[in-house]
Amino acid sequence: MNKTSIVTRADIIIISIAILILPWLYLHFWGDGSQGEIARIQVANQTPRLIPLHRSQRYPIDGPLGTSIIEVQNGRIRFIESPCRNKLCIHSGWLQRDAEFAACLPNLISITIAGRNPRFDSINF
Amino acid sequence: MNTSKPLHLRTSRDDHRIAALAALAIAIHLIEAALPSPIPGVKPGLANVITLVVLFMYGWRDAAWVSLLRVFAGSLLVGSFLTPTFVLSLAGACSSLAILGLAWHMNPLLQRLGLKQGLGPVGLSVLGACAHMTGQIITARLLIIPHDGLFHLLPLLITAAVLFGIVSGIITQLILIQLRPNQ
Repeated sequence: MNKTSIVTRADIIIISIAILILPWLYLHFWGDGSQGEIARIQVANQTPRLIPLHRSQRYPIDGPLGTSIIEVQNGRIRFIESPCRNKLCIHSGWLQRDAEFAACLPNLISITIAGRNPRFDSINF
Repeated sequence: MNTSKPLHLRTSRDDHRIAALAALAIAIHLIEAALPSPIPGVKPGLANVITLVVLFMYGWRDAAWVSLLRVFAGSLLVGSFLTPTFVLSLAGACSSLAILGLAWHMNPLLQRLGLKQGLGPVGLSVLGACAHMTGQIITARLLIIPHDGLFHLLPLLITAAVLFGIVSGIITQLILIQLRPNQ
């Protein structure tokens, strides 16, 4: 081995492959590829309600505190009105990609973007 | 029961060497654990420099011992033994050891294919770091956060892994040059 060499040719090949894979990772996981089709709205312990994202519409959803209004527009969904105090749900903004999530804990309403066939009904921790 | 004779464990020179090197790795691990990180889950992983140096000087078996001892003893000292942090750390160490073993034993093949020097510390370090991150994310997805949103972190984490992998690899090579000056 050359005394001063820090990287070998095989090292450079590995680093190049790694650097080439990075943009693909960003495109695949951060790009718009995984657009959601259906939003699942859950209120307290009720059965989840499924809402298609292709039809722009506003949905009033009743929770224990009052009525939250959820808006669907151009394949996206968000909270636009909520009786809760800190409005974290509204500040979550638009959800559109698969598995994105927003919740209003005071009013016990949550929205998840789901694929056509969700693999589980709920998660317990 | 005979209590007059103390129990003697036979230790070989190999054991002593592995223990000393593992102690070094644990010390680096502890110092790193005390430093704050800007992004949770991202840290330089400089303890892996020791694993790589051991890999090059004494082979994969010793490297595996040093790495796993570091995970177990390090977690006992930090206080994270058997917590999710420990599980992730162990998963990362196992994945990276698996890839390092594979690549290490592929080296003769690479050399026959014309890459005369085979994979050096930098290449192995990048491979190990990426395997470490991927193993951790998959384990976290399976055991801790069963939600696909977790994979949104993957690009950032792999970027960090590649960068820190290159840095650790260069440090390893500099140490190896110091340790084996006539090679």
